[in-house]
Amino acid sequence: MSTEAAIDIDREKGNFSYDTEYEYNAGIGLTEETVNYITDVKGEDDWVRAFRLKALESFRSKPLPTHWATKDLENIDFDKFRYYLSKGQQPSRTWDDVPDDVKETFERLGIPEQERAFLAGVEAQFDSEAAYSRMKDDLAKEGVIFVGSTEGLKDHPEIFRKFFGKVIPTGDNKFSALNSAVFSGGSFIYVPPGVKVKQPLQAYFRINAENFGQFERTLIIADEGAEVTYMEGCTAPKFETTTLHSAVVELVALKGAKIQYITVQNWSANVFNLVTKRGLAEEDAEIKWIDCNIGSRLTMKYPGVILKGRGARGEVLSIALAGDGQHQDTGAKMIHMADNTTSNIIAKSISIGEGQSTYRGQVHIPKHLKGCRNNTECDALLINTNSRTDTYPAITVRGDDNSVQHEASVSKVNAEQIFYLMQRGLNEGEAMSLAVNGFVNDLVKQFPMEYSVELKRLIDMEMEGSVG
Amino acid sequence: MSVLEIENLKVNIDDKEILNGLSLTLPKGEVHAIMGPNGTGKSTLAKALAGHENYEITGGSATMNGEDILALEIDEIARAGLFLAFQYPVEIPGVSIANFIRAALNSRQEEDIDAVAYYKSLYAEMENLGIDRKFTSRSVNEGFSGGEKKRCEILQMAMLKPEFCILDETDSGLDVDALKVVAEGVNQMRGEERGILVITHYQRLLNYIVPDKVHIMMDGRIVKSGDKSLALEVEERGYDWIKEEIAAGV
Amino acid sequence: MITAQSDSEFLSEVVFDHFLARHSELPDWLVKQKQASWTEYLALPAPNRKMETWRFANVKGLGVEGFRLAPSLSEEDSQSLIENSQNVKETSGKLVFGNDDLVAEEALSEELSAKGVIFEPLERAFAKHPEILEEFFMAQESALGSEKFAAFHTALNRNGTLLFVPANVEIELPLVSYHWANGGESAVFPHTLVIAKDNSKVTFVDIYGSSDKESAQLACGVSTLYAGPGANVEYHYVQNWNEASLSFNRLTTVAERDSNITAYGLNLGSKHARNEGHTVIEGAGSNAEILSLTVAHKEQEIDQRTLQSHNAPNSRSNLLFKNALQDTSKTIFSGLIKVAEEAQLTDAYQTNRNLLLSPTAEANSLPGLEILANDVKCSHGATTGQIDDNELFYLLARGIDKPTAQKLLVFGFFEEILEKINNEELANYHRELVHQKFEIA
Repeated sequence: MSTEAAIDIDREKGNFSYDTEYEYNAGIGLTEETVNYITDVKGEDDWVRAFRLKALESFRSKPLPTHWATKDLENIDFDKFRYYLSKGQQPSRTWDDVPDDVKETFERLGIPEQERAFLAGVEAQFDSEAAYSRMKDDLAKEGVIFVGSTEGLKDHPEIFRKFFGKVIPTGDNKFSALNSAVFSGGSFIYVPPGVKVKQPLQAYFRINAENFGQFERTLIIADEGAEVTYMEGCTAPKFETTTLHSAVVELVALKGAKIQYITVQNWSANVFNLVTKRGLAEEDAEIKWIDCNIGSRLTMKYPGVILKGRGARGEVLSIALAGDGQHQDTGAKMIHMADNTTSNIIAKSISIGEGQSTYRGQVHIPKHLKGCRNNTECDALLINTNSRTDTYPAITVRGDDNSVQHEASVSKVNAEQIFYLMQRGLNEGEAMSLAVNGFVNDLVKQFPMEYSVELKRLIDMEMEGSVG
Repeated sequence: MSVLEIENLKVNIDDKEILNGLSLTLPKGEVHAIMGPNGTGKSTLAKALAGHENYEITGGSATMNGEDILALEIDEIARAGLFLAFQYPVEIPGVSIANFIRAALNSRQEEDIDAVAYYKSLYAEMENLGIDRKFTSRSVNEGFSGGEKKRCEILQMAMLKPEFCILDETDSGLDVDALKVVAEGVNQMRGEERGILVITHYQRLLNYIVPDKVHIMMDGRIVKSGDKSLALEVEERGYDWIKEEIAAGV
Repeated sequence: MITAQSDSEFLSEVVFDHFLARHSELPDWLVKQKQASWTEYLALPAPNRKMETWRFANVKGLGVEGFRLAPSLSEEDSQSLIENSQNVKETSGKLVFGNDDLVAEEALSEELSAKGVIFEPLERAFAKHPEILEEFFMAQESALGSEKFAAFHTALNRNGTLLFVPANVEIELPLVSYHWANGGESAVFPHTLVIAKDNSKVTFVDIYGSSDKESAQLACGVSTLYAGPGANVEYHYVQNWNEASLSFNRLTTVAERDSNITAYGLNLGSKHARNEGHTVIEGAGSNAEILSLTVAHKEQEIDQRTLQSHNAPNSRSNLLFKNALQDTSKTIFSGLIKVAEEAQLTDAYQTNRNLLLSPTAEANSLPGLEILANDVKCSHGATTGQIDDNELFYLLARGIDKPTAQKLLVFGFFEEILEKINNEELANYHRELVHQKFEIA
């Protein structure tokens, strides 16, 4: 029943690491020197250096957002991380050229195999830089650009600079500022007007090193009428020490363009995953975030869409699975800036053991707009008596021609359901995972096949351990 | 020992005794009916045999083909061959009938069932029970009418081919047409390889599923057994005469 | 006639000494509590928008320095207030306060007094029933951001209602208190304390208003309801301060085992009103209905924060807040359901419905859940929208003019709550006030 896995989300499968020699290493801690080192190694223009240094200042000046977020953030020691580690900055175009230990890592994760099976392009990032980056030739002929952000910045500055930091300003929050100071890796994608990329482009983010911070920066621009689907997966080995992942992802969908961005996050339980993701949708454009958060110690991520042009559409479909001891603090933001814009948020969370899932949402419809609509649904499922869920939406609507509806519910798997399923011969774990899969089913149905199969498998694994 | 054997079974719910020494023998190849007034413990018997945790067994025994089923978990009892058609089938949102029955079948065998063969037999049974194929993708019992729920129970029974079936008030809430369909489904399941226990409040069902034996249950026990004519007698005269018989020590 | 006021009466740092000097009749235990509260009030920070509990609020207009301790009323003013305190005619008792002084009283029947029911103004109760007040007066904490205003209230309050209903006593007709603010710059500190002992039954109504439409006034009130085991408490409040006023109110409701509480709020007045409602489910098997209607217009800001704390199992709470907004008015609804780990089998619901009737009205909604128990039924819903076009068209097609049609549909929007009020006189009173506000608009 299982088909090719797009991204493997079995956490044990990602739990290995190699002793790797790094040619470039910014050392431990974060100072102006760290930033200068990164920008020197990359050979960046002065404006980038200035941008980074200004961001560092902004990062330092901002307090941790613990007045609304978890105090667990205080356990992040920013002086203990290594901010840049790489074997070299040029990604290879063939797997043969990738260093053996890195190649083996991605082979164990099944990336080359998936590339052959159904992807239009792959970028594989190992710690700070992309080790491999390749796209199908016919796409290149159509003018599609799919490279690492380091390359993008260097080779396509005229497009890159125009949109870079425009959707998510450096000072948006403490972690976007941090990323802006030390960013490295991530994807740069440009799809020319009218080009519809049929197969997904995929990036895989792998943390190999201990005490490391990964700060990829992704910028995707779909020009007028263009369409693209991007998928990202992430894993890291289980270390005793904490690891930090703090990405910034900006999407720009110009008039009539469509971007679909799919994430399956399966970091190991020592990773703080603090990510800022936002898209800008111009007239009649559509941005859809599909966000699955399964791993990490703490995830804070609220993908958003700024609906800037008339008739723009935004959507966030989100599944969070908070295992014992995990905190999935996720949600969505929809900022309506033009008439007749519509947005839809569906968030489902499952809390297991002492897992905690939190939904935070923002829906904003300022005055003088007409015909704006938002629909939000948040459903939480609690498995054990000590599981926890929180829901904190914030909705502002001005004007008498807009409408918003928000609904949230909390439930548990009903004992009679389990009895019924077990009476048909399923054991308790199977019964539980069937019920839990049922809970997320209407959402998973909207995911690409490869993901839904893997998600089901992961839920099965989690539920097996949650009963008895 | 192809028999479901219940001896002197005692069951409490919330410390209240509901079954107080029920005995019953159901050999394979036979259909038995249990009738009795409301609140006499008929459904308790069904749930207790299926292993529901709210039903506390305080005494007696229940064996299936010689195996003690009271010591087993709910799913183990099911896989050992006991099927309960629920009086109130439970809704399982998001889980399709097709996936559900397939998971139940797979739980009974080493190798997963072949998808083509599975759908072939599923569609055949559905057609037999007059269930539209569209139901395969609908969530289990969700939004089903009473008749659809009961037909879906019989569909599961037909697919899982259990050795012993307990039909708990399967006739409740059905009109005559639906009742006939359900009864026909059950009748097709009759045979040497299967014992069926029909629990009902009304004789009506027994016109369509003609039992080999009829047991009258009162106050948590079987108080009288007979052939199918006993059901007709109850229909005509009610239960009071049996009470009087017991009181008179007959 | 209002006597000349010295500067020391204004609500600056020194006003408290002046207040104590003016009210030497207050008992020692209370003075001590007030002193502590005044210190706390001065120490606590003023609300700012970074505080989660003040999110979306316009915190600039919340200063109290321009107000002063309300002066005593002239005989003439008192008389006019008493004449205006006739909205609920069939009562078991009535108190009328003007600028925190008792100006009229309809005492309990002898029968109820004989049963041990207490219905007294606090100015008397502080001396007469210290055992009750030392235990219950300001015994609840603020949970929704108003710590500073609660301390302010404790320090400067001197009157209000004590209603004590002994076990097994059922009171048929409602008891009513009117709280009036009179004159410009006046600050009042209304207080309500209702204690319903085991298996008792009572309905209590607070009506807040201003003697004229223009004078800017400040009201800083606290109300606390205790429903003992098996008690049945119905509470109504009508916030109808004039639209130049600034008002704060904190309502805490404590539900013990098997009790039933229903609270109806009607918010019409104030330039800026901040209401906090905390429902504390302390006992198993209790049930709370929390309902509110708000009609906001012009530049009014009505800021309502609620918390349903479920600390015991097998209980139910249901909250429904409806707001209709005209002109450039603004509402904030922030609601939270908190279910503690031990509160299994809780049913808790929270619904906020906003009806926007103008292009510049603004509705903010923050419906939250914090659930730490897994066997619960909890949901919240928030909708913000406008009058249904099809419904409006239908009425217009019947020849009804647009304002009337709108009004009918808005009233329909409110009926969901109004129709739940069992006492017909009270229901009609609420209805009439809502209608009046639309006539003005």
